[in-house]
Amino acid sequence: MVPSALRIRGLRKAFPKVVAVDGVDLDVARGEVFGLLGPNGAGKTTTLEIIEGITRADSGDIEILGLTWAEHGREIRARIGVQLQSTSLFNKITPWEALELYGAYYPKSRSAADLLALVKLEEKADAYHITLSGGQQQRLALALALVNDPELVFLDEPTTGLDPQARRSLWDVVRRMKGEGRTVVLTTHYMDEAEALCDRLAIMDHGQVIATGTPASLIADLAIPSVVELTFEGAAPDPAAFAAKLDQAVERRLDLWEIPTPDPKALLPRLLEAAEAAAVPFQQVHVRRATLEDVFLHRTGRSLRE
Amino acid sequence: MLLWRQFAMEWRLYSRDRVAMFWTFAFPVILLVGFGTIFRDGGGPRLSVVRVQSPAPSPADAALDQALADLQLKVLTLPKAEAEARWSKGETAAQLEPSEGSGYRLRLNSYLMAQAGATAGLVNQAWLVAQARLSGAPEPGRIPVQVESPGHKRSTNYASFLLPGLLGLNLVSMGLFSVGMVNVSYREKGKFRRLAVTPLPKWVFLLGQVLHRLTVTVIQAAILILVGRLAFGIQNQGSFLDLLVIMTLGTGCFMAFGFALSGFAETSEGYAAISNLVFFPLMLLSGVYFTLDAAPAWLQHAVAVMPLAPFLRALRAVFNDGGSLAGHGLGLAIVAAWGFAAFLLAVRRFRWA
Repeated sequence: MVPSALRIRGLRKAFPKVVAVDGVDLDVARGEVFGLLGPNGAGKTTTLEIIEGITRADSGDIEILGLTWAEHGREIRARIGVQLQSTSLFNKITPWEALELYGAYYPKSRSAADLLALVKLEEKADAYHITLSGGQQQRLALALALVNDPELVFLDEPTTGLDPQARRSLWDVVRRMKGEGRTVVLTTHYMDEAEALCDRLAIMDHGQVIATGTPASLIADLAIPSVVELTFEGAAPDPAAFAAKLDQAVERRLDLWEIPTPDPKALLPRLLEAAEAAAVPFQQVHVRRATLEDVFLHRTGRSLRE
Repeated sequence: MLLWRQFAMEWRLYSRDRVAMFWTFAFPVILLVGFGTIFRDGGGPRLSVVRVQSPAPSPADAALDQALADLQLKVLTLPKAEAEARWSKGETAAQLEPSEGSGYRLRLNSYLMAQAGATAGLVNQAWLVAQARLSGAPEPGRIPVQVESPGHKRSTNYASFLLPGLLGLNLVSMGLFSVGMVNVSYREKGKFRRLAVTPLPKWVFLLGQVLHRLTVTVIQAAILILVGRLAFGIQNQGSFLDLLVIMTLGTGCFMAFGFALSGFAETSEGYAAISNLVFFPLMLLSGVYFTLDAAPAWLQHAVAVMPLAPFLRALRAVFNDGGSLAGHGLGLAIVAAWGFAAFLLAVRRFRWA
């Protein structure tokens, strides 16, 4: 039997002021794109750095490709690819040189030319690292993570700080990795990224995994597949009285009310009638599918972006 | 193979860093040529005295002027107002002025006592000579003076004192800044973390770095010695093998210092403070630029057990005086002991992340 890509049990790491990882279990199958989704400070990066062998856990078991750090450190390093949250290279090294140099650290390596083509950096092959844009540096970091033709790739917030176009082009690279049969584990605090890229997800908060599943199943588990939004001009008014009248939970966001419902078709006429009667000064009505954001909100009572 | 690659990459990246190259290779040469030229006459600057013009010059004045000139003192004769202006600016070490009682008065600048004290001695000698000449008595005899380096090999100039000092200074700054500072900044910026997730053995990275710094040191030393020879005719009086042994020991010691200190700082700023705490006392007190003969005994003893002073003493003994290392066993042992202690500390404290 081929061992799973990643198997983690009871992982724990405490820093002097905070318990960063508090009993995390994870299973990642070969060939899947697995996401760790959560707000900043949820413990995603610490979890990843423990798996990558940079940080030592207080307790817990980790199996990577069926190997353990204690016994097979070098082999693990040779078979995984890592993109750190920020990749720092020498200011005056060129992408070409960096790929050649890091390639030489591994028993097998891919050609610098192929990797530059993969991340569309051919034109910058001989530019100093310091002259590359944020997106270009991030793409180079991604290419470096692939330099050893790894079976398992870890990407820590690969698109944070990038513009939308650069994010899409990074997503393409991640999809190509999956197409090549690699297993990808990534962290993100963008729910759209998690939905777009990940086969399965673990949602993390305060160092714990609060839910695991496919994006679709996580949303389906909410039992509220849809959300009706009433938007206001300016701040939304207090919905308490209206909610009581409607006999339905109404949550207030900055400039809108959110009304989760399993059946928007039945709710809408009732809602509009009640709003008319109460003279609620809303501007527009939207009906949208529930998202991972709603899942997080439902589980923690907080928004991902708070 | 991998080590060679790492070493070659260090050199390639280093060669792109023009500022670092300048400070490493050109700056010591500029110091040597600059100070060597300024103090070319050896020992230090010629002593000078400001002479305030007498309102009515007497035969005594003329005899004193003559005697001052005979004693090689540089005399700057100025009208009273100008002399006073120069004095109050603090540029005058010693000022000789007419006075009611004995005829003359000598004012010494308390900030420049090293120069002023020596000048006072010469002025008084000159006055004795002048008085003897005026009265027709036999001139007071003088003990002949000869200037030479401690090893008696040859009379040397300041540049040949300075050159080994600069060689030593290069090693210290190499260790503290090119090794210690660089590694703190690598750790701070996460370069070490990126390396840590590859299978590259860490010793290969560090050894590649150390070998690069060693070759830089050798080239630096070769340039300084060559410039010293061409510009000032300074030659290595001892064996190059001894020189290599001392330099290697010193390089090892101060690189270990860099690695050890880098374990005590979280950030580059923190490291700058820590390293200056080590660097400036070493540089100022260990005889790079001047000797500590006039310092209190306790300070001299303290400095003698610091690593740089015995290192420089051995280096000068070989380079300037053609001595052998045999007489410097204790000094070299002190350097080695510091290096070893720093190495142990580095192993304990050095962190990758």
